[in-house]
Formats: sequence, structure tokens, C-alpha cells
Amino acid sequence: MPDVTLIIDGQTVTVPAGTNIVDAARSTEVSIPVFCYHPKLRPVGMCRMCLVEVWTPRIDPATRQPVLGEDGKPVLALMMGKLQPGCVPPVSDGMVVKTVTDKVQFAQKGQLEFLLSSHPLDCPVCDKGGECPLQNLTMQFGPSTSRFDYADKVHFEKPIALGDTIYLDRERCILCSRCVRFQDDIAGDPVLGFDNRGRAWEIISKSDPPFDSKFSGNTTDICPVGALTSADFRFKSRVWEVRSVPTICTHCPVGCNLTFDMRHNQLMRVMPRENDYVNEIWNCDKGRFGMRFAESGDRLTTPLIRRNGKLVEASWEEALQLVGERLAELRDDAGSQALAGLAAPDLSNEDLFLFGKLLHDTLGSPNLDHRVGVAGEAAIDDLPAAYGVGQGTNLLELGKGTAVLVFGADPEEEAPLYLLRLRGILARGGDVTVVNPYATKLEHAATRSLRVRPGAEQALALALLKVVIDEALDTTFAERLRDTDQLRRILGEYTLAQLAEAAGVAEEQIQAGARAFAQAEHGIIIYGRHALAGGNDLSNTLANLALLCGKVGRANSGLIALTSGGNTRGAIDMGVRPRGGLSAAEYWPAASAGTLRGMYIAGLDPARQSAAAAAALGNLEFLVVQDIFLTATAELAHVVLPTATLFERDGTFTNAERRVQRSRQARPASAGQPAPWEIFQRVAQAIPVAVPAGNSNGSDRAAGWGYVVASDVADEISRKVAGYSSAGYTSLGVTRQSWGRQANDDVYYDGTSYINTEGVGVQISSRADDPKASFSLSRVAYPGAAAGEGIALLPVVRAYDGGDWARGSKLQPRMVPAHVVLSHADAARIGIGVGETVRIETVAGSASLPAQIDTGLAEGVALLPLVAGIAAGDLLTGAVTAARIERAE
Amino acid sequence: MPPLTEHIVLRDLDVPNIGDQEVYIQNGGYEALRIALKEKTPADVMTMVKDAGLRGRGGAGFPAGVKWGFLPKGVYPRYLLCNCDESEPGTFNNHQIVDRNPHQLIEGIILAAYAIECHTAFIYVRGEFAHAARTLQRAVDQAYEKGFLGKDILGSGFELDIIVHRGAGAYICGEETALMESLEGKIGQPRLKPPFPAVAGLYGKPTIINNVETLTNVPMIVRKGVEWYRTFGTERSPGTKVFSLSGHVNRPGNYEVPFGTPLRELIEADYYGGGMRNGNQVKIVVPGGASAAWLTAAQLDVTMDYEALAAAGTMLGSGGVIVLDETVSAVEVAYKMDEFFKHESCGKCTPCREGTHFLVKVLHRLNHGGGRQGDIPILHDVYNQMAGNCFCLLGESAVVPIRSALKLFPHEFEEAIARATAGANGANGKHAIALVTH
Repeated sequence: MPDVTLIIDGQTVTVPAGTNIVDAARSTEVSIPVFCYHPKLRPVGMCRMCLVEVWTPRIDPATRQPVLGEDGKPVLALMMGKLQPGCVPPVSDGMVVKTVTDKVQFAQKGQLEFLLSSHPLDCPVCDKGGECPLQNLTMQFGPSTSRFDYADKVHFEKPIALGDTIYLDRERCILCSRCVRFQDDIAGDPVLGFDNRGRAWEIISKSDPPFDSKFSGNTTDICPVGALTSADFRFKSRVWEVRSVPTICTHCPVGCNLTFDMRHNQLMRVMPRENDYVNEIWNCDKGRFGMRFAESGDRLTTPLIRRNGKLVEASWEEALQLVGERLAELRDDAGSQALAGLAAPDLSNEDLFLFGKLLHDTLGSPNLDHRVGVAGEAAIDDLPAAYGVGQGTNLLELGKGTAVLVFGADPEEEAPLYLLRLRGILARGGDVTVVNPYATKLEHAATRSLRVRPGAEQALALALLKVVIDEALDTTFAERLRDTDQLRRILGEYTLAQLAEAAGVAEEQIQAGARAFAQAEHGIIIYGRHALAGGNDLSNTLANLALLCGKVGRANSGLIALTSGGNTRGAIDMGVRPRGGLSAAEYWPAASAGTLRGMYIAGLDPARQSAAAAAALGNLEFLVVQDIFLTATAELAHVVLPTATLFERDGTFTNAERRVQRSRQARPASAGQPAPWEIFQRVAQAIPVAVPAGNSNGSDRAAGWGYVVASDVADEISRKVAGYSSAGYTSLGVTRQSWGRQANDDVYYDGTSYINTEGVGVQISSRADDPKASFSLSRVAYPGAAAGEGIALLPVVRAYDGGDWARGSKLQPRMVPAHVVLSHADAARIGIGVGETVRIETVAGSASLPAQIDTGLAEGVALLPLVAGIAAGDLLTGAVTAARIERAE
Repeated sequence: MPPLTEHIVLRDLDVPNIGDQEVYIQNGGYEALRIALKEKTPADVMTMVKDAGLRGRGGAGFPAGVKWGFLPKGVYPRYLLCNCDESEPGTFNNHQIVDRNPHQLIEGIILAAYAIECHTAFIYVRGEFAHAARTLQRAVDQAYEKGFLGKDILGSGFELDIIVHRGAGAYICGEETALMESLEGKIGQPRLKPPFPAVAGLYGKPTIINNVETLTNVPMIVRKGVEWYRTFGTERSPGTKVFSLSGHVNRPGNYEVPFGTPLRELIEADYYGGGMRNGNQVKIVVPGGASAAWLTAAQLDVTMDYEALAAAGTMLGSGGVIVLDETVSAVEVAYKMDEFFKHESCGKCTPCREGTHFLVKVLHRLNHGGGRQGDIPILHDVYNQMAGNCFCLLGESAVVPIRSALKLFPHEFEEAIARATAGANGANGKHAIALVTH
């Protein structure tokens, strides 16, 4: 858009057309006070705080030219003859804005006097005190006294719970509607509204349960007064007493930048930290309120060793000695192949790198994985390393000209911030096609939704490819592609009609989706749990689609996989994946058969998810479990090692867009539990090595294990791991200015913890970023028959899954109970009502669960939320499991 | 100026039972519709209304035909809204039209819809008008039965549905954008403008919104022609206006008069107000509903048209003429009127929500023997903090009574304060009037 030049308080300002006056002023030294306006929300002009004089050149109606005065300058006219809210009218050329006139100051004083005439002025007991725009603006612009001397301030019951996590104090509320607009426009959960009118106008929750949104916490940040406060932080601390520590959320692959506000080494609250590349200024409630687990009294504090069948406390020296010796014994006795390791995909890159080094390099085992090895979980998918979104990708800048294909994913549950980011792309004019076998929240906002038949996802992906090839929609990339003939041959065997029929989606819908994607300037494919559970064929087909359309190897195009865990990308990059050995799913038969004899599990709990895995673990000769809680798996261990949490250690994490970000230690671990990487080092150091002949000193320390701090490991990662050379700690600390120079000026938008002084991280390149790279299309196959007889049971991710992260969280009441979701038709056929128990039988096992009914679900499809109480491994056979569901007797 | 021998709008006064469809048809009803659909293009109808100089009777007085011309070309669907949320204190003319002459309104809506090429029209009826809404619905049903509404009206191929929608009794829903919000099922509060309704109104579509009285004029313009219409009223305010005369006159009621009729005639003529009760003197005239600035006895020679009233510093507004005699207290009148605005403030913007409350607080104490030194400057400050700073005209309207009262009768405020500080009880010793608000 062309730029517009105007004058604000005597300063000439040039800003893009469409900018409003408040934002234009923010690019200079001029502060126009606001309450209802927020740069992330649509302006409403309600609070009348930003009233300014706006003068525009008078236009001669006949000539449409500015009228010139005697001095030859344009004659200016006061817009509408009165003050204008600066948040509403867009700037125009020749405009003159005056923000410091008697009239304006009278109005500003007046609005503040009005606002305070209803306000309780209970700042001394208000959580917002110290970062409150009403306080700040009153000091700067308001009258020092009020002439409204009545005791009848607005009175409401205060505060009321607006949900499990948010309290509303209606007396403090200045009715700016920021929270309502956030929920309506940004989050897409229109659960807040207004009731009554006039001075009795009040915010209400319209949902059941109240404030039913995964993004509710953000409203407390943007609330310009203390009306919305979080149950998590109420009365915990004054905001100026906290020490703000920058961290990264590891609950999902978004990698939201967080601030842990600490006082006396206790977590007071979690706030989002601004990073336009990742989470803007938002985060989800799981990240905000789901961080209390570290303070749980159930934390493991000392190592445990199994003696006489019981786990008993032991010293670190003893435990580490035992682990080192036993692992070495097993290696020497049964060979490295008999050892295996599992490390959680929410550990840091430093942890995972050293875990790989310990298992693979020091112990020689090829058996590594970051999954628990139960049916229906995600395949290891390394495609984003090759075709991941190009360096410089920023979803915030995407809109018109961008097409996103969201395939087999439920962003709201799997990676909540992506729902906001995608809604933003849609709001800015982008195109989003959703392909999923069941309804998701994103679908409501999406450009089109393709409800694929479960098990026929590959048919649909091939159909999209076929449209692109048949219509020759995009050939810009063709010269860099090899093996297109093979793909053409496979696709030539089917008509679009056949593929569409198999997928259960209308041809026109497929064509529309394929065309939108192929013809967009930027194209991104986001695929999630359901797609990943279907195995690598599907993701290869999706990669082919991106390749064929030239949507790789540049910024804002490529693949994004929504994996479980906050650092699955890092786990894959650091080599915590089968390295020529067994995968997690193969561990359990091998352990049961006795070919696997020792195992090291860090942060995962396979025993909870599968009886077979639990039995296999029980068969091991030596099991080390390293965790923060005594999990079901830990209870089977021979040695249990307690470890530090995210709070208590430094480290880096790689998010779904391959952005490496650094998280800082917020406090020392209360019982001195070491960081996971430190434990791996100490275990490595405890492994006896054969003393080389002639070395009389005889060091029993393994060579190459001399890391002192996490950055020592990071240095080695940047030397040894492809793509990570650019991700040293120094580069990760580079900050970037976001939405305007005064974005973090607490006079306006509060939330001092937003400030990102610790860097926005580095997005590492994908292989496709190399302009000389050429690519092979993957061999893809037409899918076999869909799942067998019966109802197609699909595992689905639920953010509020009742995992260990939820311990001590205010979100506890929102945890999803174990249940199965049936279609209305199936429930009617079975004769089941809501909440009644059904019996589910599959070839893997059976379970009895209460049923919920979803009228939007297709007949013959049932959903199994993967939450606490569900042992997926005992019920599922894959991404789609044929199940018999009957009324439980 | 003699009274009308033939009414344009209040034809129920000329033709008994014109509310019956048969009677309406026998007296030229739906003839304009036949003429328009058979002989005229939509543009012709729009031009006629433009040429007739028909101005919006809802308050702003904007030329209706010009407004219709603001619709963006080629954008469909479009909606026509008839604003029948008549809630302005002292105004009750729409009610009579809807209750007694509903078919002429319906015909006007059909003609307007034809002119702007719209196929769905809504009549937003004030919640309290229960009986009138039923009358209107019955008339609409009859119009469907006769083929004046629905598909292929009178064989012309033109199609129109009219939906009668009852509000829930909020004054703010008479504001055009708040009316649209309410009609869409949302809380009735004004929207930010621009976009203006003609560009993005109901459901975000181009929308024309006209007052009941405005639309009721249209059939007569189309049937009898522009020249005939312009024989009434003044050059710039052609036609007639139905004034709702209330207060201390001997004959309160709705009077349809040509624009340009002197206010004095409206109050004093035997065929209109019939003079003041008990021969009392006029003290305050509110010429256009509670939102209009006050006139005094010295200004009774002003003529009742848009231009003359604007020149007198007030407005024609909704045509609700409230005449008050010397028995009233200006403080109390201002208090009563601002209490209304406070009660109706939607709460969306700060100055209206808090300012009306603040004003009423001070006015209440002044009116109840609790005035204090310094109250007058506070009142001036508060209304000045509101004036020009509110989101919509409701807050701006609330400024009007207190500003008028302070300007015209400052001594009454001073006396109220003096009396209070001297320990006397009660207001000026004068009794309250009840404002007619239906």
C-alpha cells in the first residue's frame, strides 16, 4: 500500500495507508492514550480516550482539489466539526493531527474523570496494580481529583469466577470490550458477551462450562484494568516484585515464548513473551496455567534403587555407579544391541543430543526412539528437515496470496496457537483448506473443509496431486524435480472420480483445494497427529504436493508437522530415533523375547499406555527411568533418577517451524535434581572403560564428556548437527522489534512480561533452502483397503489430557475424562445415550468407556480421546482401528 | 396558514376506517403501486422522491431520494428497514400511522423497495407497540393475500417480503445501526460509522433505513405527482409534517401541518393546540422531541420547518412538540429528560454511560433540595465533556436539555442552590410534569 504523509503535533510522519492515527502517532514521540484500542484488535471507538483534533484539507466539491487559502496553503477543516477517536479514522495525505490542545486535554481529563467515577480505586489490592493502563494514564492525563463525590460507585458482587481460570471484577471493568473482541476475532471462541445496559452493562460468559476457551488467559493480559485476573496469579505477588525469566513452552510443538515471573524462586505466573514468528503476544491456557507441576509435592527428590523388590532411596553416587556398571555389563555381556533408549520429545536439544551420545556413541546401541511404541502414534517424519517451511517464514505476515492445507490435524488440540495463527491468515485474506475425518474448530473458520473418509486420507492426497498434475497448475519447480514420471504413472491409473469416491469428498471440493494451494504465492501444508499416525506414505505424498507446486525452499512455504511434544523436531535432529536398530514399537516384543535386556527411559511412560509394554518392561534385566514423577514405568525400574524440570535448567528447543529457541533456568531445582543432560553425562562418566595398556594412571572417565554448562553441549550441537551451525546461543539471543516502537510501552498495553529481551530464536534452514538442491518425488502407493469391518475408531489428541503436566493446575476441572465419542447414528443404532457406558472391542483388546455423542460425526466413525485413563496400546491397531462397539451389559 | 383540507399522511382523519384494506383500496390505495410497477422504472420512482424533496422524518431531515442513491451499484442483496422504534419523548405520530393507516405505510415500503431494487424489507416496531404491531402484521398478511407482497407482485415480476419485527423496548434501537444490531439478534448498540448502512448495514449488506412517516409519504408522491406534493410546505422543506403536540396545551394530539406553519399557530390555533391550559403563559417549547434544544415564549414566531428551526438553534427532530407553561421548573424538566437519557444509555461509550449518570446525580440533588455551591460549573463541565465526544447521538442528546436549561434559566439553578444552602426543602416549589413518552 502507498504511504501517507501527515503531520502529528508538528512532526511530519509517513506511514502506510490504512494506518490509524493512534498507530501513526506511536511511530513518533507522540502518545495518544487508549483503552479500548489494541493494535491486535479491530478498533471500536468506545472508550473515547483517544479523542484528538483531526484537521483535513477542505476539498472543493466541484474540482475535487484542496481549497487554498490566501497564503497558498490548503485550508484545513476540523473533521466532522468535533474531536475524533484516533483509533478509528485512517490517516490521509495532508492530515494534521493535534493531540495536545486545550480541547483534547479537557476531553482526556473528562473521560478519565468519568471512568474513575465508576471505578473502585482498589489499586492496593488489585493484581493489575503496577502494570495497569488505567493507573498509568490517570497519572499522565487524568485529573488529580474527582468532583463526583457520591458513594454510589457501581456495585457488583466481586469478583465472580468467569470460568475455572479467570475471575471477573465488574466494578473495575471499564467496558472496553477488548476481552470480547479477543474471544470473537482472535481466538474464535465467542464465549464472552455483554448483558444489561448503561452503567449496569457487564461482561458475561455465554458458554457452558463458563469461559470455555483454551485462550482465556490472554484476556487478563490485554485487560487494561484489573477486571480480569487469573485464578493462577490472584493475590500471589505485586508485579514489581517478580523476576521475569524467559522460557519456552514445551507442551506442544509451537514453542511459545514464555516469561516465568518468579519471586523467591517460586513461580508466580506465566506470561506470554512477544515473538511475532511464533506466538505474537499470546499463549494458550495449557502453557499459562499448566506449569504448576514443577511445584508438586509428588516430585522425585532422590534417586531410588530397587532392593529386595522395592524401590528405596539411594545416594546419587550409588545410583549412578550402579547404572554405569549395569549398562556396561549388559553391553559387554549381551552386546550393544541388547540395550535401548527412549527419551521424551519435550527434553531440550542438549539433553537429547547427549542421550544420543550416551546410548549410541558410548554404549553403541542403535536402538533409540522418542516415542512409546504403541499403535496409533505418529510415525517418525523427517520431511520438514528437507521441505520444512523455508528460512524467514513468518505466519503473522501471511494473508492474501497464501494458501494453507491443514491435513489430518486438529490445531486447537494439538498445537493451540496454530489455530490463532491460521485464523489470522484467514482474517488477512488467506485461504485455508482443512482435510480431516472429523470436525475441528479450525474448520468453522476455514475457507473449505474436506471431510475425508477415515483410512482414505492417502486417496485424497493423491487426488489433490492428480488435480495439480492434470491441470498443470504449477510447473515452476518442475526443472528441479526428478522422478515425476513415476508419480504420473501411478496417478494415471486412477481417475479423479475414483480417488474422490474413495475419499468420500466431492471432486469440486478437491479441485478447489488443489487449485487454491497450487496457485497461491505462498503455500504451507500443516499435517498433524491423524496424518502422522497414518505412516510415512501420506506425508510423502503431501511433500510431493508441496514439491510439485514449488512450495518449498523459500520463506513462507513448505511443510509443518504438528508432532506431539515440544521438541520432536529436536529429538529427530539430535538422533533420538532408530539408528539402524529397533523402533519403540519393536522394543516390546524384543524385550518380552529377551533379546532386549537393558533400557534407559528418560521422561516417557510407556507402561501407562500399554499393558504389553508394561509386561515387556517387567521382563528387562535392567531398567533405568529418569523422570520428575514416579510414573507407572518408573515403578518397574531398577533405578529411578529424579531430574530437573523445564524451570530448573537452561536449554534450547526446536519448534515445528524448525525455529531453535532458548529457555533459561528460572530457579535451581528444589532438591538439587540435575538437568537431564547432566545426568546423562554423569552416567557416561560412571561407565567403566577398559584402561588402555600402558596408561598407569588409568582414567575411568569416558573421553568427550566434559560439559560444564548447557552451552558447551550447544556448541557441540552447532558443530555436529546439520542445520544447527546458525543456532548458537549468541544468535538465538537476537531480538526483533514487534508491532511498533512503543509496543512494550506499559503506558498502553501493559504486560511488562511481554518484553522479549532474550531473542526470538533462529529458524534453521531446510535442505530445500539450498537453491541448487534438486529433489526426488517419493514413491507413493495407492492405499489399500480401509480398516476392516465395524466402526472406525480414531485416536484424537486432547490438549487437556490429564497428563502429569496438569498436576496442581487450575485447569484440573477442564481435564477431559476418559470416554469415547460416537456419531449420532451409531449411538441411536446401539441404543446408547450420553454418558452411558459402551464396550469397545478391537483385535488389540477391549475397554468399557462412557459415551459422548457428536452429531457432527459421520456414521461409522468414533473418536477415542487420548487422555489419562486410556491405554491406547491396549485398544488401537493404528491410525484407524476397526472396532465393535456395543452397549455395555 | 389554514389547516389541511386533505391529509397526506394522517389520512385516517379524512377517510374513516382507512386501516381496512378494502377502504384503503377504495380510496386510491395501492394505485401508486400499480402505477409504479406498470409505468415506471425503479429509477423513475427514485427520481420522483428526489424531486419531491421528501426529507427524512426520523430526525436528521436528510433527503430520502438522495439517501437511496447512496447504495453501491450492483451489490445485492440489499435491505430496506422501516424504523418504527418511535421512542423519542414527546413523539407519537408513527404510532398513529401504524395503528390507523398501516396500508399506506406498507405501500410506501413496497414502492421504496422497488425503487432501490430490494426484495426483503423489515419493519422494526417498538416493543411497547404491541397492538400496533399486531395491526401492522395483519395489514402485511392482507397485502400478501392481495398479491401486493410476495412473488411477482401484480404480475410485474417484482418480489418483496416484509418482516414485522418487534423490538424489546430500548430507545437506543431507534438509532439506525443499533436497530440493525438488534434485528440481527445482538445487543442493541450503535455501530462504528463508517461504513454507513448504505454500504454495509444489516448483515453487512447495503441497507436503506427510513422512518415510518417518510415512507408513508411515498405513495402520495407517486400517485399524485411531484408538483402536487410540492404545493405543500416550503421550497426546501416540501410537504407536510405530523407534529405530536403535547404538554400544557388545551388540545394535545397529532397534527399534520404544512412545513412552514408558525409554532405560535400550532400552539394557539383552535384547530391545532387551542392555546395554553388555564390561559397560562408558554415557558418552554421543545420543538422536536427531548433531543431538541428548547425555545422560549419569545421564539414562538419561528416557522416549523428544518431551516427555520435550525436557524433558531434547535431542530425539527422527530416532530414531538412539548409545550410547557410557567408552572414547571426548568431544573426539574432538565432532570426528568436527562433521567430518561441516563436510563436509556446503552453503556457502550464512556461519556454517555458515565456522563448521563453524573448529570442526573447533580440534577437530582438540585431538584430535591440538595444543591451545592459549585454545582453549576460541574454541570457545565460534565455536559461539555460529553458534547461532541459521544459514540452516537444518544449521549449528544442528553447534553441538550441541561445545556438549554442552564442557558435559558440559569437563575433557577442559582435559586435551587440558594434555597438548599439556606436549608429549605423541595425544589422550586413547583410541581412535576410527567413527560409523554409513548
